[in-house]
Amino acid sequence: MAETGVILKDIRKSFGNVDVIHGVNLAIKEGSFVVFVGPSGCGKSTLLRMIAGLEEVSDGEIEINGRDVTDLDPSERGIAMVFQSYALYPHMSVRENLAFGLKMARTGREEIEARVNSAASILKIDHLLDRRPGQLSGGQRQRVAIGRAIVRKPDVFLFDEPLSNLDAELRVSMRVEIARLHRELGNTMIYVTHDQTEAMTLADNIVVLRNGRIEQQGSPREVYENPANTFVAGFIGSPRMNLLDAKWIGNDHIELAGGKIASPLMAQRLQDGEKITFGIRPENLAVVENSGEAIPAKVDFAEYLGGTQYLYCQLDDGQPLVAEYRAGAPIEAGRRIGLSCAAADHRIFEASGARIR
Amino acid sequence: MSNKSMNDPLHPRPSRLASLAPQDEGEGARRSNTLEGEGQLRLSSPHGEVRNGAKRNEASNHEGAWLRFKRAKTLRKNFAYHGAGLAIALFFLAPLAVTLLASFRHGTEARQPAIPPWPTNGFSLDSYRSLDSFGAGVWQHTVNSLAVSLATVVLTVAVSLLAGYGFSRYRFPLKNVLFVLVIATLMIPFQSILTPLFIILAKLGLNNSLVGLTLVYVTLQLPFSVFMMRNAFDAVPKEIEEAARIDGARDLMLLVRVLLPLVLPGVATVAIFAFLNAWNEFLAALVLLSSNEKYTLPVLMMAVRAGRLGAINWGAVQAGVAVMTIPCLIVFLALQRYYMRGLMAGAVK
Repeated sequence: MAETGVILKDIRKSFGNVDVIHGVNLAIKEGSFVVFVGPSGCGKSTLLRMIAGLEEVSDGEIEINGRDVTDLDPSERGIAMVFQSYALYPHMSVRENLAFGLKMARTGREEIEARVNSAASILKIDHLLDRRPGQLSGGQRQRVAIGRAIVRKPDVFLFDEPLSNLDAELRVSMRVEIARLHRELGNTMIYVTHDQTEAMTLADNIVVLRNGRIEQQGSPREVYENPANTFVAGFIGSPRMNLLDAKWIGNDHIELAGGKIASPLMAQRLQDGEKITFGIRPENLAVVENSGEAIPAKVDFAEYLGGTQYLYCQLDDGQPLVAEYRAGAPIEAGRRIGLSCAAADHRIFEASGARIR
Repeated sequence: MSNKSMNDPLHPRPSRLASLAPQDEGEGARRSNTLEGEGQLRLSSPHGEVRNGAKRNEASNHEGAWLRFKRAKTLRKNFAYHGAGLAIALFFLAPLAVTLLASFRHGTEARQPAIPPWPTNGFSLDSYRSLDSFGAGVWQHTVNSLAVSLATVVLTVAVSLLAGYGFSRYRFPLKNVLFVLVIATLMIPFQSILTPLFIILAKLGLNNSLVGLTLVYVTLQLPFSVFMMRNAFDAVPKEIEEAARIDGARDLMLLVRVLLPLVLPGVATVAIFAFLNAWNEFLAALVLLSSNEKYTLPVLMMAVRAGRLGAINWGAVQAGVAVMTIPCLIVFLALQRYYMRGLMAGAVK
């Protein structure tokens, strides 16, 4: 057991008869920043709370830095947690909030003083130490909540959607702050969010969860560019990847909405005429003249976003599709265009959803 | 406040500013006077900075008149508001004041109707002396009452705090059934269980004892208190408790250091109710206690009120009422700040 970091071994959780986590295996390297992401109800928060010790583990084992912590009290696991609702103690000043955990651990007075001051200066909340949480703004409260985690000098930081209560602007600056904190402290951090921008920007490693199972795990680039299945492909990226019903017609060709696309693929597994899902990201579609090679589409409406436009189109068989269009000239609704894409950007999935590589 | 409204960029109109000004008692009133004297719109902020430009200084008389009208209206409104408040306060305070003053009248004077309500022949403690001649002496009965009431408060708070926490946070079988059962006992008139209570206490050897009486009071007080405390704990976000658990606070430490300060309004409410009910309770005290020196104040008061040989010593009655009121006032005034918040917390959740 010389391995460090956090290791989850076949973790299961059920509330009564309802299974919410179905055997999660995960190894998190020490010092890495891991983001659990998934739709609501996918079990990401439950998983985090089990690591924290706030939720009992129905089956399986949790190891932190080589120590089995499955049955340990939250305070003995070497973790600290930042909650979505901050969960500061409203009757204590900021200083007391920061010091509370240390006091409970019977840390010496000077040590507490030193740690509180250093955490306060890292987070730039020195001037707020004598205030009550009620007198702070949302961003300041979140800093205090993070400060309360820092003073404990934990092996692992756990963040449970820490930014979802903040307004958009503050969220961006706190995101940068958390990234900076990770760089400075170098601890393992596990972060739960449903916001994929946060996931993409913060993570070394993204874990995509659905219905209590890990769908894919990898670096943001891997997850974005090489999704393991249609769920991950559709979940990561905004606007989402176009997933179109198509048919494999053999000879390296795909039939899509009546047209043919060449897609060189080593797909021995596929039968001719088998149904597949053809995935293509909006930014990989180029608007071209309607010619033989291009996919013909009709523009339903165009969204102008300044630097770029999103064209909401319809294929000939009625399937919707989004294309990103960066050139200047506006494209009015109702126009027929052609779309082309490089074969390297094609993502082909089986009808069941699994990726064909 | 005035300063803030004066600098409010959203309302730069002088008329608006002037209408706000009189709300500030001292400064505002003075400012209004100078305004009237000069008859022009020359408003200055408390820092002496001239807020209004030349144009405003040449405002029409019409606007000046409107201003005066506005100001008079505000003054009238304030006067009516405070007048009504004073009148209502007077109605509530008068009986207490009359009782307190009347209790200091001389022995013979005390038998006369209380007009005027204050002592006319100088203050005297006659009434208190004659009150002391009833039963085992007023001190003895006051101490009995205080002992029973304070013990009831302490026990009620301790039990309902733990029970409320349990009902709010723990999951156990039949939790809701149990809670409903506890609440349902509120529907039973306590007079109807007085006889069984008497028998139980007798079997326990606790009849004619203040300990027995305290236990009865705590029992009667608990359903409401448990309900109140559960609501108070329900209102505390779960995350705070979880954060405290991660910080290493467990069980009693968690309850005392983190949760107790957050449910203090509920505790204050429970304490006030427990104290007042125990302090004022008469029937159970009369039935369950049998020896003279054990009686609590309400029982003493009944004896005083009944008089001797048909002659009622009204002075002693007034003195007794004064003695009984004061602790209630002290408790309520000391805890009312939390009490109000407690009632509201219970109302919303």
